[in-house]
Amino acid sequence: MKKLIMIFSLGILFLLSACAGENSASGNSSQSTGNKNSEAGTKDGKQVVTFWHSMGGAGQETLNSIVEDFNNSQDKVQVNAEYQGTYDESLTKFNAVAGTDSAPTMIQTFEIGTMSMINSGNIIPIQEFVDKDGYDMSGLEGNITNYYSLDGKFYSMPFNSSTPVMYYNKDAFKKAGLDPEKAPETFEEVEEASKAIVKSNPNMKGFALQAYGWLWEQLLANQGALLLNNDNGRTDTPTKIGWTEKEGKSIFEWVKRMVDDGTFANYGTNGDNMVAGFLAGDVAMFLQSSASARDVIDNAPFEVGIAFLPYPEDQERQGVVIGGASLWMIDGKPKEESKAAWEFMKYLQTPEVQAKWHVGTGYFAVNPAAYEEDVVKEAWAEKPQLQVTVQQLQSTKSSYATQGALMDMLPQGRKIMETALETVYNGGEVDQAYKTAVQQFNDAIEQANKARKK
Amino acid sequence: MSMNPTLETNETYMYQFERVKKSARMKSFIKGMLFLFPSILLFSVFVFYPMFKTIYLSFYLTDAKGSTTVFVGLENYLNMFTNPIFLQSIKNTFLFVFYTVPPTVLISLFLAILANENLRGIGLFRTIYSSTIGISVAAASVFWLYLFNPTMGLLNKFLEAFGGEPVGWLTDPAWALLSVSVTTIWMNIGFTFLILLGGLQSIDRSLYESAEVEGSGYFYKLRRITIPMLSPTLFFVITVSMINSFQTFGQIDILTQGGPANETSLIVYSIYREAFVNYQFGSASAQAVVLFILILVMTVIQFKLGERRVHYQ
Repeated sequence: MKKLIMIFSLGILFLLSACAGENSASGNSSQSTGNKNSEAGTKDGKQVVTFWHSMGGAGQETLNSIVEDFNNSQDKVQVNAEYQGTYDESLTKFNAVAGTDSAPTMIQTFEIGTMSMINSGNIIPIQEFVDKDGYDMSGLEGNITNYYSLDGKFYSMPFNSSTPVMYYNKDAFKKAGLDPEKAPETFEEVEEASKAIVKSNPNMKGFALQAYGWLWEQLLANQGALLLNNDNGRTDTPTKIGWTEKEGKSIFEWVKRMVDDGTFANYGTNGDNMVAGFLAGDVAMFLQSSASARDVIDNAPFEVGIAFLPYPEDQERQGVVIGGASLWMIDGKPKEESKAAWEFMKYLQTPEVQAKWHVGTGYFAVNPAAYEEDVVKEAWAEKPQLQVTVQQLQSTKSSYATQGALMDMLPQGRKIMETALETVYNGGEVDQAYKTAVQQFNDAIEQANKARKK
Repeated sequence: MSMNPTLETNETYMYQFERVKKSARMKSFIKGMLFLFPSILLFSVFVFYPMFKTIYLSFYLTDAKGSTTVFVGLENYLNMFTNPIFLQSIKNTFLFVFYTVPPTVLISLFLAILANENLRGIGLFRTIYSSTIGISVAAASVFWLYLFNPTMGLLNKFLEAFGGEPVGWLTDPAWALLSVSVTTIWMNIGFTFLILLGGLQSIDRSLYESAEVEGSGYFYKLRRITIPMLSPTLFFVITVSMINSFQTFGQIDILTQGGPANETSLIVYSIYREAFVNYQFGSASAQAVVLFILILVMTVIQFKLGERRVHYQ
């Protein structure tokens, strides 16, 4: 009996440690679906294209309807859009199947994945198709071209782009005696407005900042600060961080002051909870991607204002970095299949599709011609807030800072900054949290360079 | 001079006997191996190969696809012990085991003793108490996520109704690990309860009968009969719960993602982060090896210490 129990427990130990590898197994299930499609190759004489994307919620609905329109508009190509979880999850799955038959024809990957996609060697630069086809990319929004072209070469097709904006509760502003049409512009004004709001309604906090590395990067870029040295990794491989202590700390200190004032609402890393809190009237202002604009405006029982991203008083506003994602063509697929995917990519750039996309989500149109479409004009007349996101992008000053950083360790860097932000939210010292974060960030850059044998 | 003939025969005989014994042993070894072959094959593919591959990877740096690039020897291990995030995850893991294992076992034991009484409709209660065994980690976590929601969560609504301040269950460092622990305890009770109830049911009734003849009270019987007779089951349950706690992943991923500020980042979650967010498969493997050794050591210690108190029939 004694032996038996011992053996049994040991067996369980082994089994459980084997279960720790479950994550990779979850990737397999979707692999098989991808496999099915690429093996099918053609269906009813149509060329099948597998498209992995990461659009949930309203984005998924709109995207699905766009894909359906495309499939119905012609009889040569059949696009199968497959939701693969968040960008992070999708990228992990892709890395597991890259180079095999299970890989999709095209994949949507977030902007900070750009460098690791290029380094992976599993992709065909879009530029090849552009050249072969004589396709004109100059119709695209200038700031988008800035981000996605490297040395004048497009590696991926821009698709969904957004910028961070500040959402605020106009009704709460009125109640607090603030001008609802004039949103606070600087860090200091946000603090003042927060105080006024808490004073008028003790149950409502003034401001919320999700601990999200992307927002931190944006607040940095808005001051004209670089994330990485060597011009944000655009002139050479970065070797350390690019921002100065003053620029980096200003964000932490700003948050710290509001935490101390009791005007800051802490939702941790959970963006959904933050939006829910805003809609329920627990907090009056928050920063979030413009991609949620449609969702927030439609669901709020009060009037929602959308404003530019704030910046420190003693700096000038530089503007924002393009956020969102682009579409990548995967290498190693039959020529016809890639060609069919290229047709679909071109379709996505047309003004009509981009107009539908912009209005349905709050991502802005990568093709500015879309703003001339009637759908957009109507939507703007009804919801003028949607326009703010476009204005913010167009007023952005082009520089290395607002072009955005390129490196393969950026997802890791985001997590590091998120931890530091959360430490401050929970009463941690700014100096300590900042120092640790910078140290870890530099270590991560060093480690990544080392692993690449450079 | 020739050798003693009797001795020689005896030696030959011994030699032959040894040979027969040896070939018989060989035969039974081969037979045994044949029987073991399917499980050896399965274990090799799903346990041993990944394990050795993990150890191999832990000496390298890797690219995003997980193929090795640079051999770094023990560097991954050395870095690990100066890495504040990993050290914190070790601390969190031990705290988490401490928060979850004793309460789970105590609560399940209490429920199992209650449900062991022969009453009408006791089957209903047994079903209720063991029901969490049928709920997947993902479903349970999502369910608790709603309870913990800062805006519309039931827990904060309750607190507000009684005039309390709302608590940031998953965002306040003072609460986050406790919140995850409560979730885990709730999830594990079903399994632990079922095993313990099984153990209680198999205790020989005659022991209680003779105790009753001697006029011993309820708690005396509980202390002197139930607990000692249940000790093998308790031991098993404690060991398994502990291993389980060490390897918690799902609820962390869904509830907190290791936040706030890595307060709930357990070792397994830290491994996941390292491998699938940072794409550092080398250091992730090193952490996995450390986790394996940790669990092995804890289990051995438990067998050395706990076994003395266990009463096997």
